[in-house]
Amino acid sequence: MNTVPLQTTAVSAAVGGGEAATFYVLGTLVVLAALGVVFSRKAVYSALMMAVVMIGLAVFYGINQAPFLMVVQIVVYTGAVLMLFLFVLMLVGVSSSDSLVETIRGHRLLTAVIALCFLVPLVSGLAAITAGEPVGLSAGVAAAGGSIPWIAGEIIYRYVIAFEATGALLITAVLGALVLAHSARTKKKRTQRQMSQDRIRGDHPTPLPGPGTYARHNAIDMPALLPDGSVSQLSINPVLAARNPELQHGVPEDLSYSIGAAPDEKPDTAASDNDGQREDEGSWTR
Amino acid sequence: MIPLSLSEAQTPTVTTQAPDLDYGLLSPLLVVFAVGVLGVLVEAFVSPQRRRITQLVLALLGIGAAFVLTVVQVGALPAEGAGLTVAFATLVVDRPALFFQGVILVLALVSLLLIAEDRDGEGAFTAQAAAVPGSEEERAHILAGTRHTEVYPLVMFAVLGMQLFTAANDFLTMFIALEVMSLPLYLLCGLARRRRLFSQEAALKYFILGAFSSAFFLFGIAMVYGYAGSVNFADINRAGSEGGLIEGGGPLLLAGIALVGVGLLFKVGTVPFHNWKPDVYQGAPTPVTALMASGTLVAAFGALLRVFYVAFGASVEQWRPMLWVVAILTMVVAAVIAVTQRDIKRLLAYSSVVHAGFILTAVVAASADGLAGAMFYLAAYGFTTVGAFAVVTLVRNPEGGAEAGDLTQWAGLGRTSPLLAASLGLFLLAFAGIPLTSGFIGKFAVFEAAVAAGATPLVVVGVLSSAVTAFFYVRIIVLMFFAEPAENAPRVLRPGALTGTVVGVGVAATLLLGVFPGPVLDNLVPQPEETTAAEGTVPEALFMR
Amino acid sequence: MDPMNYIVLAAIVFTIGAVGVLVRRNAIIVFMCVELMLNACNLAFVAFSRMHGGIEGQVIAFFVMVVAAAEVVVGLAIIMQIFRTRRSASIDDANLLKN
Repeated sequence: MNTVPLQTTAVSAAVGGGEAATFYVLGTLVVLAALGVVFSRKAVYSALMMAVVMIGLAVFYGINQAPFLMVVQIVVYTGAVLMLFLFVLMLVGVSSSDSLVETIRGHRLLTAVIALCFLVPLVSGLAAITAGEPVGLSAGVAAAGGSIPWIAGEIIYRYVIAFEATGALLITAVLGALVLAHSARTKKKRTQRQMSQDRIRGDHPTPLPGPGTYARHNAIDMPALLPDGSVSQLSINPVLAARNPELQHGVPEDLSYSIGAAPDEKPDTAASDNDGQREDEGSWTR
Repeated sequence: MIPLSLSEAQTPTVTTQAPDLDYGLLSPLLVVFAVGVLGVLVEAFVSPQRRRITQLVLALLGIGAAFVLTVVQVGALPAEGAGLTVAFATLVVDRPALFFQGVILVLALVSLLLIAEDRDGEGAFTAQAAAVPGSEEERAHILAGTRHTEVYPLVMFAVLGMQLFTAANDFLTMFIALEVMSLPLYLLCGLARRRRLFSQEAALKYFILGAFSSAFFLFGIAMVYGYAGSVNFADINRAGSEGGLIEGGGPLLLAGIALVGVGLLFKVGTVPFHNWKPDVYQGAPTPVTALMASGTLVAAFGALLRVFYVAFGASVEQWRPMLWVVAILTMVVAAVIAVTQRDIKRLLAYSSVVHAGFILTAVVAASADGLAGAMFYLAAYGFTTVGAFAVVTLVRNPEGGAEAGDLTQWAGLGRTSPLLAASLGLFLLAFAGIPLTSGFIGKFAVFEAAVAAGATPLVVVGVLSSAVTAFFYVRIIVLMFFAEPAENAPRVLRPGALTGTVVGVGVAATLLLGVFPGPVLDNLVPQPEETTAAEGTVPEALFMR
Repeated sequence: MDPMNYIVLAAIVFTIGAVGVLVRRNAIIVFMCVELMLNACNLAFVAFSRMHGGIEGQVIAFFVMVVAAAEVVVGLAIIMQIFRTRRSASIDDANLLKN
């Protein structure tokens, strides 16, 4: 360790005071953000905290003479992988906030104990080691003609088998996503021509009436009113109607005062059901 | 090639030359990889009606060819030294690697037959994984007879990962191999045709716990890299005997051994890292369970043996206590839990945990005998367990056609279908380690090696645990042959040619390895005079370094 | 400052990630915590790489990123499949298998 060639004692190898200051400031930030990932109630906050951790680590990579990894970390990890997480979060429902209530009694206490039993010996063991001045990568960078050619040589020459095996890994990932997400067609796709023919020959060639649009409601689950004040059964998507039959003849409570109730409406139940429905929907869409 | 012995601190390793790859040595891996890739192309270009048969023929031919090539390499190994290295020693071709690869390929071939079994257009896999269970869409797909033929390339990639896992000679290649092996298995677990919710949950559980454990594995690698300045097993071994790059870096090595051990022991499935096994084995499609219970176990132990015998071969005193504790815990806890199981697949899962404990006693020995014992045990156990899972696929619920897992339903099966019950009985006797079965020889070999290495207390625990587990295996046999058939007696399917072959291979291997173990057992490792080692180290001649 | 501080930081972040895996119920957050653990490993690799003056650590960190990307695809596909079936990404809801 002590026989370091002259050219490796470049400034970047040694740990200076500026680096120490950066380490403590940024290190604190990273640890706090990591805690944020774990303890945020909302998944999106966790993801954003994760982005902070990743960018913080990218800076550490830069300080530790790994400029290539710094860029990869930001572009690939933060930019692609984390965004994929966010996409899925959006699909699954952003506000599906996690209950932090324990389901198993003493689970959290047990976890804390285990974590301490893991962390304390590990950190005390690691902190007892003094590595001294790092050797630094300058010698190798000079020999290889740059840090990226050096990395490339190692990846493509020395670890060629691992490199090829990651090919298998990526194919597996694509295949897996296809298997789990892509649904093959069982029937032939209907052509534009068939659809228009069906429509003309069917009993309703014109477009169906749209859902109701009122001063305070214009959701797709609001029925439209016909000129006589009754509800148009065709104006709501059958799927929504099947979920809540009341919708077929319910208009919002505040509207039914002014326009008069539809013939067979029960305003109270209809209104409360509507509210329930909207809350359900809200949890996926808000 | 650049010699690796130079200390990196003085001249950093800069690779500027492409390795001189010996494609002959890589051929078994290349064939399996090529067949996997071809399988993906088949998905794209072959009509749906012909896909299954094309995929099956391709996969069987590929694995068969890879097996032949592996056997050819055994003959081509140099007389001097333990084997050869490929591509800057990132991969080795030596006796243990070839043996494990050969066993994995045969087990994969047998499991493939189970995977391909297709009764009246109904395989073990879901018609359309993307369709919600019980939905109209799913029904339409079942009626249309859609099939997921993508499982064949996935199986090929998993097999490729297993092969690499046993042959990797540095931690980076091993980590990639671990992922190549695991990712397809995570996916395959979620594709069961029946009880799809269970299956999807099994996939999620396996995935999360698998990713969790590989993170531990990786952190362990980081610690070892910090200690030795290299991830190559030979370099780590040298650092272990001569001291690492960092002064007072002992804690790094210790933490590394422990964390790498956690990652590997999780894949092997020993207590306290066994929690995934019963759930995943139960939820996954049974043919995939058969592949995991046999192939993955063999591959994981192959890697574990190489890591502990080569990379940590100079630090036996550091890892031995840890493996002692894990082995004892495994043999005791899993045996006790196994007795209370009521579902055949969960029972087989716990039995697999107990067996992992038995094999660990051989690993603890850190000797040539230990290695040979573990190798024999793995081969024997692999064939028996594939056979047992093949039997499980045949016993179905009277209505619905899902597998009849509940053990009470298996009562009286010996009277209604004696042949099937007899073969399962044989497998269970082999699990219990009754003489004249392969299980007995395997147990004898591992316990003998452990006693020779001074681990007698471990062997006592092992024998007691065997006795407890033998009790519940025998209980099932008694239940099958001497109890009245249950009310909701299961429907036993006639084994088709494919499943029949699997059960036949299982029975044949269990009996042959039990009656004539000599030819296999005597040729596993080099002769004893070459395999002496100093106290606290593993003999060098066992593995290529 | 000794460069081992980076390793200590990595150990702390790694443990925080592990705790997250154990206490959180949302599968996506659990998975994010696994990513946190992998990131901690990468920091350790990069710091060791500089300490030893070899590039190997950086190479490993690069491979880990590739592996993580593939793992994320598979993992999120599995989570999406479960979500479509039962409209929930909670691990607790997914416990049919418990005996």
